[in-house]
Amino acid sequence: MADLFSLVLWPFKWVIEAILVGFHSLWTAIGFDGNDGLTWILSILGLVIVVRSALIPLFVRQIKSQRKMLELAPQLKKIQEKYKGKRDQFSREAMSRETMELYRHNGTSPFSSCLPLVAQMPIFFSLFQVLETAQRDPSKGGVGLLTPALSGSFGRSDLFGASLHATISNNGGDALVTVIGIGMVALMTITQFITQLQIMSKNVSAETMASPMYRQQKMLLYVLPLVFIFSGIAFPLGVMFYWVFSNLWTMGQQFIVIRNSPTPGSEAAKAREIRLAKKAERQRERSGAPLEAPEVGVVVPKVNNQRTQPVGKARSKRTGERRA
Amino acid sequence: MSALLLLPRNAVIAVLRLYRVAVSPLYGDVCRYHPSCSRYALEAVQQSGVVVGTAQAAWRVLRCNPWSRGGVDDPPARLRSSYRITTHGFVRPAEQPGG
Repeated sequence: MADLFSLVLWPFKWVIEAILVGFHSLWTAIGFDGNDGLTWILSILGLVIVVRSALIPLFVRQIKSQRKMLELAPQLKKIQEKYKGKRDQFSREAMSRETMELYRHNGTSPFSSCLPLVAQMPIFFSLFQVLETAQRDPSKGGVGLLTPALSGSFGRSDLFGASLHATISNNGGDALVTVIGIGMVALMTITQFITQLQIMSKNVSAETMASPMYRQQKMLLYVLPLVFIFSGIAFPLGVMFYWVFSNLWTMGQQFIVIRNSPTPGSEAAKAREIRLAKKAERQRERSGAPLEAPEVGVVVPKVNNQRTQPVGKARSKRTGERRA
Repeated sequence: MSALLLLPRNAVIAVLRLYRVAVSPLYGDVCRYHPSCSRYALEAVQQSGVVVGTAQAAWRVLRCNPWSRGGVDDPPARLRSSYRITTHGFVRPAEQPGG
């Protein structure tokens, strides 16, 4: 029976099986025991590396647009100044509209859309199904390269005696599965928490921090681990390994982004400026260049002798409200 | 009668509102458009009903990808003059004067 769901998942499953089997034969070729759980876990690690590497172009695009954001910083600041201290819903709305329009006008955006996130969903479901087939009906095999023999090996494999297809809620009384499972949930939660926290505490501008949306998100930072605990109970260990590896990858990636191209106006951006200044200082010391003021022509302060024309209240307001 | 007609629309609005409260914040701000895709969906369904609104929302989600320019993009305002949107976002028939 081919319902729509499995029809959509079929190509994903095929590719996932191919990657898993590929890595599995690689590990066995270099001397790992093909039926060992560790070999299968390393194959899952390989899958994570391939999937996340495939998503790197999206991520690089993101960095590039972050760079471009630096050029927009003055204009962004202008908008922020304009709405400074205005906390009501309509001002917030108008502010984000203007900001979005500025991004569009300059062909850049700090947001990546939800695609990178959603793109991983079918992979996750497919891995779940591949594991389930391996457990429930190994003789059936996968949809492609995962032969019944390999499928059976995957389904029977275990880590320190804890079966990879077992879940915390359904492990046939194996306490080891529960122990490893809880450890995995904890790891999953911690990595997710750290990733979110480093974005939220370091990589948001002061303006965003003041918004009610941010407070709501901050609250979720603490609710999310609870969600993981409940969902983690139902996932097989193999799927949890995928999640943990993927989270670790995200964490590392995030660290690099925040360090090298932080959001303008955020704490991380300030930290980067300080770091760059220190580096320049060190380089100057090493090269032994004398400390001197950068060469600039004699700056004659421009004195405006002309009296500033008085501006009517209505007029100054009008110019102030002009759209960018 | 028209309250009954509005039932599917309001049911979808309820689901979307729940999604926006419970699921959306997990992502954080990722949308390249303003309003965000989920708010666009909510407003589209409010304005145009389940069939047209859902189609508009689906098209919006497809347009919202890392290669799109983004920007301000509101769903078309098509609310019938005989309908009103409540403070909770649901759509109800306007009270007829004297009836």
